[in-house]
Amino acid sequence: MSRAASTVVSSDAMLVSAIRSGDEQAMAQLYERYSAIIYSVALRVLGDTGAAEDILQEVFLRLWRSPDTFDATRGSLPGWLAVITRNRAIDSLRKRRPEADITDVVVSIEPDLASTAESSRALEKIRGTLEGMPLPQRSALEMAFFEGLTHTEIAEKTGEPLGTIKTRIRAGLLTLRKAFNP
Amino acid sequence: MSVHEQFADDLSLYALGALQGEERLAVEKHLRDCPDCRHELAQLQGDLALLALSVSGPKPPLRSRERLMTTIAKEPRGTRVRLVKRKTWRTALAWAAAAAAVTVMLLLLRQNTDLQQRVAALEADSAGQQKQLLQAKELLAALTSADAVHFTLVAGKIPPQPQGKAIYLRSTSTLVFLASNMPALPPQKTYELWLIPTSGAPIPAGLFRPDTHGSAALIKPPLPTGIEAKTFAVTVEPASGSAAPTSTPIMVGIGG
Repeated sequence: MSRAASTVVSSDAMLVSAIRSGDEQAMAQLYERYSAIIYSVALRVLGDTGAAEDILQEVFLRLWRSPDTFDATRGSLPGWLAVITRNRAIDSLRKRRPEADITDVVVSIEPDLASTAESSRALEKIRGTLEGMPLPQRSALEMAFFEGLTHTEIAEKTGEPLGTIKTRIRAGLLTLRKAFNP
Repeated sequence: MSVHEQFADDLSLYALGALQGEERLAVEKHLRDCPDCRHELAQLQGDLALLALSVSGPKPPLRSRERLMTTIAKEPRGTRVRLVKRKTWRTALAWAAAAAAVTVMLLLLRQNTDLQQRVAALEADSAGQQKQLLQAKELLAALTSADAVHFTLVAGKIPPQPQGKAIYLRSTSTLVFLASNMPALPPQKTYELWLIPTSGAPIPAGLFRPDTHGSAALIKPPLPTGIEAKTFAVTVEPASGSAAPTSTPIMVGIGG
């Protein structure tokens, strides 16, 4: 993990620690910091503002009720929130029970998302990287992530071999990683 | 840091929650044993988080913040209440089941961790005991081996005399007896060591015959427990030993 990410962890870790002792203001600060990320991800997956709001409430309430499910020493809070939001939204989309144990989700992420400037630069870079990807690769990645389709479903939908879809998904993720670890 | 190639693609799918059945179980089993792949999974989750950020932009309506803060304020710390209005009872049940499952998993995880720590402690104890046992065995082998060379150190030019050394620990009835320069005996005879208690008759403490160098050792012979020793003595007895001394002691302890 980079030094920048460590800074995020300590800052977010303090807020999560305050939440443990019932500090509502700490919760409000985390909401200010990360609600847009959570809401945007839920909205992109579900395509419905009301449903996205529900997921937003749900994710923050889970953090409030069980702050220990996030381990600040093991990853980035915004990364963790983004991933569990996506997972929860996909569960909701597919009308299935939440199946992932969120305590197992550990997210290593490079950009300092607590800093607005850094977050904006990161966003620009991510979008640029996605636009630079071959369309089939980007498409496979987005179908898997935002639509929650399995590799088998994507292969059926696109008529591409299963192995090709698997490779595209992994290659797409590694391309994103390399954008921040050249 | 290297990821096992056979799991490379599947780890991405696992991070996406796209793996099911045996494929998923195989990855989970591998993850339990492979720190490199666990690290790679965290990296992949980070990559997914970056992908999630690509849609960052729209802000939730203002009422959403108010709704959250109101709910939090009403909710006593450490309790669980129903909260999302649109949830049906089925969803609530599902969440309850999931929460129970998570609780059970956490308990099992903790139990597992405790057990692992206990196993690790036992293994450490066992390793320590094995080491001590090995040292004790080596010591015994050195004391009793026919190959061991015994030297008796004396002052001046006094020729070495028959000598015995008894070390006795009453609390565990442990006795170690070492003898040197003992004269050889005819086949029908043996030396017998006696524990002379502070009161009562001498107690047999083992038979011994010296080797060709006149050395002998008795290590932890069977003895009654808790006997206080006044001294030790050695007599010459018939080859099968005696229940009570049948001759005058040729060696008697002089100190304690």
